[in-house]
Formats: sequence, structure tokens, C-alpha cells
Amino acid sequence: MTRALRFGLVAIAVAALITFPYWSAGWESSRFATTVLRDVLVFAIFALSLDLLIGRAGMPSLGHAAFFGAGAYAAGIASQRLGTDQLPITMGAAILVATALALIIGALVVRSEGIFFLMLTLALAQIVFAIAFQWTSVTGGSNGLSGVGRPVIGGLDLTAADRMYVLVAVVFIAVALLLSRIVGSPYGRALVGVRENERRMRALGYDTTRLRLSAFVLAGAIAGVAGALSAYSLRFVSAQDVGIATSVRGFVMVLIGGAGSLFGPVLGAAVVMYIERVLSSAIPVAETVLGLVFVAFVLLARQGIVGVGLAAWARVRR
Amino acid sequence: MGEGAALIEIRDLVRTFGGVRALDGVSIAVAAGERRAVIGPNGAGKTTLINVITGEIPPTAGVVRIAGEDVTMLRPWQRARKGLGRMYQRNELFPPLAARDNVALALAVKAGPYRPLERVPSTQPRAADALLERVGLAGREGIPARELSHGERRQLELAVALAQAPRVLLLDEPTAGMSPAETARITELIASLDRGLTMLIVEHDMDVVFRLADRIAVLHEGRVIADGPAADVRGDVRVNEVYLGKAVATA
Repeated sequence: MTRALRFGLVAIAVAALITFPYWSAGWESSRFATTVLRDVLVFAIFALSLDLLIGRAGMPSLGHAAFFGAGAYAAGIASQRLGTDQLPITMGAAILVATALALIIGALVVRSEGIFFLMLTLALAQIVFAIAFQWTSVTGGSNGLSGVGRPVIGGLDLTAADRMYVLVAVVFIAVALLLSRIVGSPYGRALVGVRENERRMRALGYDTTRLRLSAFVLAGAIAGVAGALSAYSLRFVSAQDVGIATSVRGFVMVLIGGAGSLFGPVLGAAVVMYIERVLSSAIPVAETVLGLVFVAFVLLARQGIVGVGLAAWARVRR
Repeated sequence: MGEGAALIEIRDLVRTFGGVRALDGVSIAVAAGERRAVIGPNGAGKTTLINVITGEIPPTAGVVRIAGEDVTMLRPWQRARKGLGRMYQRNELFPPLAARDNVALALAVKAGPYRPLERVPSTQPRAADALLERVGLAGREGIPARELSHGERRQLELAVALAQAPRVLLLDEPTAGMSPAETARITELIASLDRGLTMLIVEHDMDVVFRLADRIAVLHEGRVIADGPAADVRGDVRVNEVYLGKAVATA
């Protein structure tokens, strides 16, 4: 496949994704598919950000929802307290708060590894959850934060569901492009070096603690963007957005799809959301199916769907 | 040798592990351009010495200087940037990455990693390939490190250390686990490196030591019992008693 042809196909796919609500309107009058696809893309951004840690830097975080939730709350609270729905302000607040939180938590966890890193991220995220759950006057506590406004950009109102979808799709494309650029850069390669042999990286002259912290903060900021988009989309923020269930959900998406690839987390988000949102209305045990799928991948195919696909493709070509 | 000319200077270095003094007041100075070997029986403290020089293990007492600068409190990555390159006794590579990418990570350190939106310079793979050719790995550039033979991985380990363009190359048993043919090959390879490159070599194989080293320091139970030109150390009675004699007897 020539480069021009590949570029053309990707451009068509991107255009089709962004304009989905408009060309699907004829056969999809209920807008159910648009809503599900929007939420898939929100969680695809979240999973992509988590994969920067798990797949690239070798930092399996079980507390990534802290930043997703922080972004969601920050966007919602900024919108309500400042009385504006301007996207640069509410999204800016989301990124700022998620980044600051990632910097604080990151500084505490990046020197630990493996199971200790896993448990520390989980424990600190649970502290954030407890704060969100109990600080009722700001977060709404167990009732959540309702009535979050949909954003506007200057005079462009994104309140309509179709426009909201387009915003999410555009941000998803931007994040995917950014991450694809990053993983091929000297920075992305250095993260892989840290994942594969931190001792050697230090001996080469890399400040690996700072590299790990930078990846943690970058991933946290992107998760904050996903959280803000979730708050806009649902017009609601729940304490569960900060909770362990959301962290685990992201983890499952990355592992089912395939860690360390850009396509894997997106695919994983689609599979998990399909089971949760579509399959669950058809069969009553959808959550059990999701659990079994996860166990199957952990036991039989740790490289996820993408890894299985690539291995099959390599066999076919041989 | 005047102390002012020392590129690596360690003074009164002590390192204890529990009640064991692995290093017990070690002082060694390595001049710029010198090839210094450190020999001694197992447990003499040789690898501990290298780990203390690189900063992977903090000393209990004593000072480490690089080009006159006290680096005792610096971290390993900071010392590496002062010019320390290291070939580990047990390979420390990036197993799934191609040999070329292993070297490229070392080449990239000078420009710094915080270039998230830049592409990898097109000159980097060529520079990596040139280094791989230099260590005898031409044609193996695209092979993941984990698929190379042990001998090839040792060559790659050397290429990675050289890619840092170090001022001092610390070689921790460069021939560890190699066949006689591989040992001969890597010994000649190291011998052929730029004479201006300062080396500190820890090695058990005395043929390798006498082929490479200008001077030899002998460690025994954490202390330096001899330190001088290779020919003098070879004839030192005490050294022969505690080490060389055993080495000859067990060879």
C-alpha cells in the first residue's frame, strides 16, 4: 500500500468518524448508536492515556480514574461556579486540575514499581474518591454533580447531541494523533527504554524518575480531557467517575484491546462498551461475559486483540 | 602519576554490608587515557567498587571524583552524564528492541528525551549501525537483543556503552560467560579502541588483563594489596600468594 493510498484511507475513516451522526441519521433515528459511539470515544481517550503508562512506560496504574474524575468535576464545577460554558475555560480547568493532581500523586508513586506501584496508585485514587464522595458542598457527594452545561466555543453552541458528538470525535482524533506522534518520538522511545530496563537507562544518563513522572502527568492530563468530555456528554459527574470501577474499566479496556499499541485501547474501549451498553440489553449476564472475556485474555492472550491479530497475520504471511 | 591528572579518583572508600566490609578503605586513581585493571578473588569487592563508582551503591564512607569533581552525592544518571560508560557483567540491554534501537537509545541521551513531537533524527540509525559494525555486529542490526547469542549480546553491551561517547569506560568482566574464541575476539576489540579512552576493567581472565591493562590494582578482602604497572604486579609475591597463584593453580 502506497503512502498516499494509506493517507487517503485514513482521511476517509477520520471524516466518516467525525460526521457519523449526519450520515447515519437515516437509519439511526433513535441516535442510540451515536450516543454509544460518543461514549466509546470518551473512554477510548481515557484508555489511550492509561496505555501511555501501561503499554509504553511500564507503569500499571490502578488509580487512573482519579484524573478522569478530577477533569470531570473541574469542568462541571468551573461551568457552574464561573457561570460560563466556554470550552477553553471549562476544559482548561479540567486539564489544570487533572495535571496538578497527577503531579502530586505522581511525585509520590513514580519511584515504586510493579505491585507496589499498582497498590499505591489504587490507594491514592481511593483517597481522591473519598474526598469527592464526602465533599458534598462542592461535588454533590453521593448525589453527584448534575446539570453540567454543554460547552460553547465563542458563539458556536455545542448543546445539540450531534454537535457534542463531533466535539468528542475531534478531540479523540487530536489525542490519537498526538499520541501517535509521541510514541515515535525520542521521548516515546525513552519511555520504552525505561519500561524495558530502567537500570540501563540510568547508566546511560537518563533521569528515569523524571521521565516516569512526565509520562504520569501527561497521561493524567489526557485522562482529565476525557473526564471533561464525559461530564459534558452526560451533563453529570458521579463520584464513581473517580472510583476504582472506572480505573479497572480502563485497565480492562487496555488489556483486552492490547497494551502498547494505539489501536488496542480504542478497540478495547469499543468491546467493553459494547458489552456494557448493547449486549447488556440483550442478555442479563453481560457483566459476567465481560469478566469471562477479561479472564480469557489474561490467561490465553496477554497481548490483547491486537496482539492476537498481528500474530495471526504473521502466520498467514509466512 | 600526579593526582591532578586523575580522571577517576576514589579515596578511602568504605562499603559495608551488615558486618562485612566489602570495601575497606580503597583508594585508586586512574589517569586520563590509562587502562587500569582491578583484579582479585571472588568476593574481593570488585563489582562493589564499580557499583560505588557509578553510584548504584552509595559508599559507607569515602569520596569518588570524576575529573577532580566530587560526585559522591550524585545519582547514577548524573555520573553517566559526567562521562561514565559501563559494560555490565550481566547484560543490561533492552531485550525486545532491535540491536540498532538498543544503541540508538544510548546515542539519543545527549540530545535529551524531552522531544515528544520530534521525529527520531534520520542520522541516528546510521550512527547506530556504524557502531554495531565497529563491534562486529554488522548484519545483525535489526535482530532483537533477546535473539542474539550470548557472545553477540556482550558485543552489543559494549556498543551501547561506547554509544554514550564516555570519557571513562567501566568494563565489568567483559568476557564473562564467553567461549575462548569469543573471549579472544572481544579482547582484541577492546584493545583496538581509541587509546585516549580511559578504562577501568574488572576481569578474572589474567590473559585478558595482561593484554589490556597498563596498570593493575589488586583487591583482596576489600583492600588494595598492590597497585602498579602490569609487569610489577605480575611479579609481586603477595599477589601471587593471594590471587595469581590460585588462578594459575586452578587454570
